[in-house]
Amino acid sequence: MKITIQHLTKRFGATTAVNDFSAEIQSGELIALLGPSGCGKSTMLNMISGILPVTEGKIFFDEEDVTDLSPEKRGIGLVFQNYALYPHMTVLENIAFPLEIKKVKRAEREAKAKEMAKLVHVDMLLDRKPKQLSGGQQQRVAIARALIKNPRVLLLDEPLSNLDARLRIEMREEIRRIQTETKVTTIFVTHDQEEAMSISDHIVLMKDGFLQQVAQPQQLYDEPVNCFVADFLGNPPINKTHGVIQNGQLVLDGGCCVTLDKAAICKEGQKVTLSMRAEAITVDENEKNAKGIIEETYVMGKEVLAYVLLGDYKVRAYIPAEKEFTKGQKVNIGLKKRGVFLFDDETGERLA
Amino acid sequence: MSTQERKKSAFSLTVMRIKAEPFLYLAPFALGILVFTLYPIINVFLMSFKENFNYITKEFSGWGLGNYQYILKDPYFIQAFKNTFFYVFIVIPISTCLSVVIATLLNQKIKFSGLFQTAYFLPMVTSTIAVGLAWKFMFNYRSGVINYLLNCFGFESLNWLQVTTYNFPALCIYGIWAILPFTIILLLSGLQNIDPMYYTAAKVDGAGPIKSFFRITIPLLMPTIFLVLIINTISTFKVFNELFPLFNGPGVSNNLFTVVYYIYYQFRVKMPSKYGYAAAAAVVLFLVIFVFTMIQRWIEKKTKD
Amino acid sequence: MKKAIHHFSFGKLMVYLFLILGGIIMIFPFYWMITGAFKTTLEIQMFPPRWWPASFSLDNFKEAMRMAPFGIYFINSVIAMVSCVTLCTLTTILGSFAFSKLNFPGKHILFGLLLGLMMVPFEMIVITNYRTVIDLGVYNTTLALIIPFTSSIFYMYILKGFFDSIPDSLYQAARVDGCSNWKYLWRVMVPIARPSLVTIILLNAISCWNSFLWPMLAVVNRELRTLPFGLYAFVSEGGAKTELMMAASTIIIIPMIILFLFARKQIVNGVARGGIKG
Repeated sequence: MKITIQHLTKRFGATTAVNDFSAEIQSGELIALLGPSGCGKSTMLNMISGILPVTEGKIFFDEEDVTDLSPEKRGIGLVFQNYALYPHMTVLENIAFPLEIKKVKRAEREAKAKEMAKLVHVDMLLDRKPKQLSGGQQQRVAIARALIKNPRVLLLDEPLSNLDARLRIEMREEIRRIQTETKVTTIFVTHDQEEAMSISDHIVLMKDGFLQQVAQPQQLYDEPVNCFVADFLGNPPINKTHGVIQNGQLVLDGGCCVTLDKAAICKEGQKVTLSMRAEAITVDENEKNAKGIIEETYVMGKEVLAYVLLGDYKVRAYIPAEKEFTKGQKVNIGLKKRGVFLFDDETGERLA
Repeated sequence: MSTQERKKSAFSLTVMRIKAEPFLYLAPFALGILVFTLYPIINVFLMSFKENFNYITKEFSGWGLGNYQYILKDPYFIQAFKNTFFYVFIVIPISTCLSVVIATLLNQKIKFSGLFQTAYFLPMVTSTIAVGLAWKFMFNYRSGVINYLLNCFGFESLNWLQVTTYNFPALCIYGIWAILPFTIILLLSGLQNIDPMYYTAAKVDGAGPIKSFFRITIPLLMPTIFLVLIINTISTFKVFNELFPLFNGPGVSNNLFTVVYYIYYQFRVKMPSKYGYAAAAAVVLFLVIFVFTMIQRWIEKKTKD
Repeated sequence: MKKAIHHFSFGKLMVYLFLILGGIIMIFPFYWMITGAFKTTLEIQMFPPRWWPASFSLDNFKEAMRMAPFGIYFINSVIAMVSCVTLCTLTTILGSFAFSKLNFPGKHILFGLLLGLMMVPFEMIVITNYRTVIDLGVYNTTLALIIPFTSSIFYMYILKGFFDSIPDSLYQAARVDGCSNWKYLWRVMVPIARPSLVTIILLNAISCWNSFLWPMLAVVNRELRTLPFGLYAFVSEGGAKTELMMAASTIIIIPMIILFLFARKQIVNGVARGGIKG
């Protein structure tokens, strides 16, 4: 089912949690609602679920306006960060509870619950209480409970944040699998870019209540619309430096000149931010007129992360593991085309 | 258009229902509170300022401080106030000190702790009247077990119940015994909140049990001790029930009036009933409790920060 | 090292001696009451006292029951206790739910006001309540023993505290599934809050069973009395013999002792949490 959000705004007293948010979510997709904590992504989710009333704007499920509909009438399934399993009920009772409220007959709802339990792989735990389950198992039960009503939309609020690192990877693949099998339109909230990148069809990136960009994961990484998006994604953090355009060339704050095709598009005298991904920087040991010094290297397995000192400025660069550099070695630095961005210093908008 | 309209009205109906619902849940509770707590307290306050109030006809001669003037001069009230204060100042320190020691010992790793707890806490659940009668029997001049023990240690028998000098101590002894369980429970739960890490650290530093009691237990337990002091002050200030089993009322020749007994006396024992005096005394009782409650809340806030 | 061990065990011994002595003092009145209930008139007046009755005959109990209708008092006490506890628990559950999970205008002010009312001593409002039951026409009926105790701010406060600790996401999850407040309360909240409910029910039952002042004021007829006041009236009106007094007292305390032996942990925890004398 398609979800359309039009000019959605949510104010709590004087603070605006979500500001004029418009987006369209295609049917059957897995969408990550990504952003730093406090950016309004959970508020967003709660408005889609109907737990929070909206201040302004509209929400449509397909063609139906659900803005004023109460949560239970929207046909959504919701999974909470702490799973919100009823501690006194067994796994089976927990999963079947939404149908119990709908007054579905016992035999029928238990059959359906068992089917759901099988889908999320907890069918051998049906008689346990939530306390006797691991975090991952509780998560699975919570998803089964959300799915049992055949919801039009499945909403997950930070579903993986209470799990340890290994389980988190396992569960995010599980969420992807379950979503693919059921084909239910799914939105999940996360502050973990890696999580969002790895499983979602589209990422909706938010900051301070404003929508930043909606794009496929790779596209978001390769084509950030502004400085924040470029900063937020990627590990290690993107290298950033400030400069001015002079004579079609970029002059960095330290006085260095960088020849850049992209600089040609910019206005003369414009103040810009140059952002470079670590993998977009090439390092070679050409000692002639070398400006950089290798300060430190960290072996990451298939690559080496090097900190290179360029005057006062320090850049992070990925170098292939087979090249061996030593600390203090003088090196030269070059830039690839991909992964290098220029942003307007004032607006943060991408120039090139 | 019409569907739009209908949708809207249905929506406002649910809003209405949502608004009314909490009050439906609240109603049964609120009814009891309104009729038997809120109304009475307002009424007692008003009544205390009505002079020569007749409860049957609801007539009174005028507003004023007459009731307060009367009770503050009434020797019975003065005596009741004195007795109550003395009672509080004797029962509270003794019971608190004993409780701190007992709670600390009960908090040790001891065998049969369930048995000990049962013994120490049992008086809390049993009727003041019934157990008071047992104490009356124990205090008996001729055949009481307490006088027997006194004789064993070479003391004279005391006439606990029938002589004015001794019936106040008898009341205090019973009062201390009766308040111990509650006090121990609160202190014990306070002790259980002290991280055992401190004791381990003290042991490593070479502190013995006595030293760690005074340097760790007492300071860390201080907030709980304060809390207990206040709560017990409030509850002992209302001493009343204990008078009946021991002395059939306020002692020999009415020497054991307490504030609550005075209230009871003014509106139930005295003929005709003096509701105004009772209400004024009740307001005085309330003010004392109010002050102590404020101190308690202040301390609770302080310790939370 | 050896000395330290010796010192330690000596200290332990003193701890046990002190606790045992204290324990004996604490339960001695019960021992004395119950053994006294089996002594004869002669035995009870002996000095030095007889520590153990010569025989365990139930004559004193029969005699006490003959002199005053303790059976009826017992039934009255049970009726009053069960009604008070049932009604009060119901209003407490509904009220705490409203204060904990529902939103309505003035909620916080109202709750603050109730906390303020919590310190009002019962002994103060009893003056008006006495007149209220007369005005309501229930004076000197069993109803008079019950209706002032249908709501309790104290128990509501305790239960609300527990309800507050149940995460709101549980409530939202149920709401999303279309669960009504009513169903949520009884199907989810109450089962989860069972330990707390048991505690407030126990505390309430104990205080009902032992209440003295109000039953003394609210009823005059002999056949309406509850145990504590019935016992006191038995003593003050008849000038009863000590051994009969002890027998009657035993009748009152036995149910509470049994209750305490079975539910000591819940009662003790409840008292520790509530921090108010029962």
